[in-house]
Amino acid sequence: MTQAPSDATTIRLEIARYRPEQDERPVLERYDVPYRHEWVVLDALNYLKDHIDGTLSYRWSCRMGICGSCGMMVNGVPKLTCSAFLRDYLPGPIRVEPMANFPVERDLVTVLDDFMEKFQAVKPWIIRDGEQPLEEGEYRQTPAQLADFKQFSMCINCMLCYAACPVYQHEDEFLGPAVLALAQRYNHDSRDQGKGERQELIWSDEGIWDCTFVGECSAVCPKHVDPAGAIQQAKVESTVGWYRSFLAPFGRG
Amino acid sequence: MARPYPRERSNAWFLERWPYRVFVLRELSALFLALYMGVLLVLAARVHEGSSAFRDYVDALQSPLYLAFHAVALLFALLHSVTWFQAVPKGLPLRRGEQRVAPALLIGANYVAMLALTVLVLVVVLS
Repeated sequence: MTQAPSDATTIRLEIARYRPEQDERPVLERYDVPYRHEWVVLDALNYLKDHIDGTLSYRWSCRMGICGSCGMMVNGVPKLTCSAFLRDYLPGPIRVEPMANFPVERDLVTVLDDFMEKFQAVKPWIIRDGEQPLEEGEYRQTPAQLADFKQFSMCINCMLCYAACPVYQHEDEFLGPAVLALAQRYNHDSRDQGKGERQELIWSDEGIWDCTFVGECSAVCPKHVDPAGAIQQAKVESTVGWYRSFLAPFGRG
Repeated sequence: MARPYPRERSNAWFLERWPYRVFVLRELSALFLALYMGVLLVLAARVHEGSSAFRDYVDALQSPLYLAFHAVALLFALLHSVTWFQAVPKGLPLRRGEQRVAPALLIGANYVAMLALTVLVLVVVLS
């Protein structure tokens, strides 16, 4: 996408500030920062912290859309601020708030404990009944087997999908999009044998069946993981599994 | 002492952004499809009762209220079809070897099937 450089010289940011020692609730504060054609929202925040108000708190690290730490609400939409160009929000103002659906620690920093707990609950690692002896070599995988789960392995845990999910907003127990996609990533890995261990949680109400398929998780995902797709596919598998256990209760899983 | 601000829940979340509004309309579309099925069932019952009962009901269906209902139900039925066809590749990621079958192809196949069934029904009804 090519856009002619704008002749704007400054752009207004409306930043949600929450300083627990003085604020009852988050308040919007307005700042004017220089406008640069090639700047992203994160650049503007860094300028603001360096030159205007050093007390602003926010998370960031890589500036290239891979670390997953700079997720925030930009004009109400979950975005990686390192990938959200100022020029796409002209003439401003740009409202920057902490990721929705999480408690706010301070300013633009959210509390992530809930995600971390749910993340571990689905056992996101390769589970084997037993390791094969070293002399048998590595666990081989065909390109087709890799393609079966690769998309779901691209997640960077930025949690934008949680900020976009109204089910997560209202259901405390819901495991949420990224975690369910991650479970699918391991369940579909030909080297993994842990599907049975994950099944009870994944196929439960707080797992895939709480999802009403709003689909915004996939729309905001910066890595095209498509958690909504992962969950719908797991629903199909869960349904097939249910019928199978119903029709052949003594058969193999 | 740090005191996190609790996460906010909105009872009007479905009004806040377009994707959420479309989602709620999509879910609502099922209600209108169900109501329309009700109309069809009553119609079938009238057919069973005899030709005069059937004709009376068909006359009643031409009232402005029923016509308005049908117009709204048709719009919701279209929305229902479009949104769910759009969702097919998400639940059904067909793969040929390493390559995914193009989502547009899966969606297109559903439209073709719908068109074929519609033509079939029209042929049966009009012949």
